[in-house]
Amino acid sequence: MAQRRGSALLLAVPVIALSLFLVGCPKRPATTAASAPPPTGSPSPSAAAPSTTPSPSMTPSPAAPSTAAPSTTPPAPSEFTANANLKDVFFDFDKYDIRPSDARILDTNATWLKSNNNLVLIEGHCDERGTNEYNLALGERRAKATMNYLVAQGVQANRITIISYGKERPTCTEHSEACWAQNRRAHFLVKAR
Amino acid sequence: MNVFSSLMRPGRPLGLLVALVLAAATTGVLSSPPAARSQGADVLLNVLATGAKKLNIVIPNFAVVAGTDTAGLGRSLPQVTAKDLTFSALFSVVSDVPPIPTADPAAVRATFANFASAGAHAGLQGLLSLRGDRTEVEMRLYDLTSPEFRLIAAKKIELPTSQARRLAHKVADEVVMQFTGEPGVADTKIAYVNSGGGSKELSLMDYDGAGATRVTSNKSINLSPVWSPDTRSLAFTSYMRGYPYLYRMFPFEQRPVQVVAGFLGINTSPAFSPDGRFLAMTLSRDGNPEVYLLTLATGAFRRLTTYGGIDTEPTWSPTGREIAFVSERSGGAHIFVMDAEGANVRRITQAGFNTQPRWSPKGDTIAFTSRQGNFDIWAVSPDGSNLRRLTAGPGNNEGASWAPNGRHLVFQSNRSAGGYQLFTMLADGSEQQPIPRTPGESTSASWSPRLP
Repeated sequence: MAQRRGSALLLAVPVIALSLFLVGCPKRPATTAASAPPPTGSPSPSAAAPSTTPSPSMTPSPAAPSTAAPSTTPPAPSEFTANANLKDVFFDFDKYDIRPSDARILDTNATWLKSNNNLVLIEGHCDERGTNEYNLALGERRAKATMNYLVAQGVQANRITIISYGKERPTCTEHSEACWAQNRRAHFLVKAR
Repeated sequence: MNVFSSLMRPGRPLGLLVALVLAAATTGVLSSPPAARSQGADVLLNVLATGAKKLNIVIPNFAVVAGTDTAGLGRSLPQVTAKDLTFSALFSVVSDVPPIPTADPAAVRATFANFASAGAHAGLQGLLSLRGDRTEVEMRLYDLTSPEFRLIAAKKIELPTSQARRLAHKVADEVVMQFTGEPGVADTKIAYVNSGGGSKELSLMDYDGAGATRVTSNKSINLSPVWSPDTRSLAFTSYMRGYPYLYRMFPFEQRPVQVVAGFLGINTSPAFSPDGRFLAMTLSRDGNPEVYLLTLATGAFRRLTTYGGIDTEPTWSPTGREIAFVSERSGGAHIFVMDAEGANVRRITQAGFNTQPRWSPKGDTIAFTSRQGNFDIWAVSPDGSNLRRLTAGPGNNEGASWAPNGRHLVFQSNRSAGGYQLFTMLADGSEQQPIPRTPGESTSASWSPRLP
């Protein structure tokens, strides 16, 4: 499923690129602007159509890709909301396997999801230790492991989207194991179909 | 006896030093043609042969030969050059002394003789021409160890006045070039992530911290900027569209930000190949984080790794023939090296929890971050030998990025109050010093190649 969605998104990438601008355009650092090479003759042409044509609007579209979005494009994370029936699960340091005590939580979550036909967004999170990039991968694995568990319990995979925030969205900001343990989590959000 | 260091004392006017007029210095001081680079290197080699660790260079204020110096560039530019050369760790610098006379050869010789007697091995003269929106520096580099005060090199550099500070950097880089055969790294920039505005945005600054400028303002999370080899673009991960996609931006041009990879899952950890034709990255579109290669000209993606757990953080060897990366395939996180086609994978770290490999532009070293208690920066040869530790606290030290000459690293440390800030050090871990801070935390530094 994930692979099929990915392929569809790839096809949409050039279209997205044409419409995407930074808010207000990037500032030009004054110290090198005039010495930058001309845009022609680039030794590294980009995959995504290096167009210099301005888009109709200089403001980016607010959320997920909407241009030529195939039906498999997941809704924007901002469209999902928390639900008190879905409890977080937590992970050991640098691990992404589901702990036995958390499996029971996921069983309860799965039961609720099977009786409520929502879309689900599973966020994977890490504690503050370690590098951004590795934690993005680790958070991805945590969200994926959680998704796999729910699917094994009978929740349809095509209802579930995962997102890794790595260590970028901690719930607790103290520098202690008690705090880190709260941050190593998978968090659930839902969106009505 | 080397009395050069006495010049460094604040407030000691050079004129009080004993003048030693060399009888041999009679002709040719200003009229010599630019010399070959090897002559500059000879000066350095001769100095080093005497046991000195650094070459003593005096950089008087630049003389204004055209226009009106309302901005005080004649004094400020040589001080920037002086800081650059001090940073290089190759020179001991004296600056902020009156300009070398421009007209009277006898006065010039007397000045050089003063410098030489004080221990200076080289002298840098700057002639500043201010022409409205263009500014030019003519630099003349002299060998003060030669009896005739031989001219080693002369060069004119012109830039828009708005970029006058770069003139100072370019002069410094040329001086380093003359003495080492490779330009310095002063005319470079550092891209980094800064949280000062409440969200993690990308910023650029000169390598020395000057001119910090935010280049994203999308109020989401922006991570992992890396420079393209031509210094025109940055690849980075951003949540600006909700999910972590990979983008490319052109910070010096009015061009739209491009989506480079927008697959389901993570699109992270970009690394341009040395020739700029490929972008290595981490995607989880096939179910778990793997290293992929994007051919920029065609948009074709190719998967390089096939392990069922985490593979991430690719970094290219300068030849473009190998890629180092992080994998947990042998338990924990370790640094591996593979051919750029994905074959011939070998592990090069054994102990600790190791991430953030960064291959030196000289090819002989891979810097990385190791957790053995706290996080510190280590280095290892690509074959796994010569493991050494570059930082040993305080705090965490992470995220090294090489200067283009492979002699310096920028990294992030939370050793000081106020969270993560950027620091630099030499490749052996010495000379650790903070880059002047900007508000908020600064992380994920990427040192640019030399600017054009």
